[in-house]
Amino acid sequence: MNAQSDTQIPADREIIRDALLATLSLFIPVIPFTLVFGVVVAESGLSATLGWSSSPIIFSGAAQITLLSLLGEGASTAAAATAALIVGARHLLYSAAVAPQFQHQPRWFRWLAPYVLIDQVFALLKLHKHTDPRAYRLYYLATGFGFWSLWMLFTALGLILGPTVPESWGLAFAAPVMFVSLLVGMVDSRPKLVAAIVGAVLMALLLGVPNRGGLMIAALLGMAAGAVMERWQR
Amino acid sequence: MTPVAAILLTGLGTYLLRAVFIVTASRRSLSPAVLSFLEYVGPAVMAALVVSMTAGSAGLSQMKTPELGGLCAAAVVARYSSGHLYSLIAGMTVFWLLRAFL
Repeated sequence: MNAQSDTQIPADREIIRDALLATLSLFIPVIPFTLVFGVVVAESGLSATLGWSSSPIIFSGAAQITLLSLLGEGASTAAAATAALIVGARHLLYSAAVAPQFQHQPRWFRWLAPYVLIDQVFALLKLHKHTDPRAYRLYYLATGFGFWSLWMLFTALGLILGPTVPESWGLAFAAPVMFVSLLVGMVDSRPKLVAAIVGAVLMALLLGVPNRGGLMIAALLGMAAGAVMERWQR
Repeated sequence: MTPVAAILLTGLGTYLLRAVFIVTASRRSLSPAVLSFLEYVGPAVMAALVVSMTAGSAGLSQMKTPELGGLCAAAVVARYSSGHLYSLIAGMTVFWLLRAFL
């Protein structure tokens, strides 16, 4: 991954091309997730159209699958929505982490950008450090809406193909593999390594917390451990 | 509430979670301590997500040699190459091979 300097702002076409290439390579591991989505919708008893409508309305794979699974299991709609929001709570951290880059962005972008702030977009923004506001905006929009378009298309295909793919293929494992790849690119210092290790270990200890509620706790304590390590190193 | 309302409510809630700091805090300067803390969002969340997704609903018992081998292979390839696709291919290949032979 190449960091961009202030003095060398790439051309718009180059930014968009880089963003779309990164989006395509990161979307491949997401495809199995769209098949899982198809299975969940089929098993939920909801119509395919209603299930798919969660893609443009929510645009968060984990939250969608949580919501539709719980609705299918007969959970109350309020409980299912609450659980889905707990699963998606990590987006609050992403919002805080990217907020400084929005200080010099136009208002329309500050309202539009959050809609496509997903795990992969956040990770790519952290790996490609565009310091020029326009370059940052172009990269953000190209990755965000690139993922959005692919997610809309493939969740529709997942409704058809998902129920036909055997679970024994283990395709869902592609998702954690993708996140490991993104994680390795982010860990470029000892404090960040500490943050990752603490986050992973605490998540393992907190797996029993309902609706993956342990994820936020593990993430916050991992971040704290990284910050403490940074201070300790000074 | 109906399932339609549940989807709309989740959509609105998810948007608000993503928007709150971008819309409200982007015009304010954050203190260096907060900025330093936020540097660790990526590593901490991604690491926790890896564990959460690998474990799935079965918990830690799901994390066996094929899963751990696949994750390690993906990490090594990611460390020495710039393409996420190579990392995916390595991770899934090792995962499938270990699952087939162990």
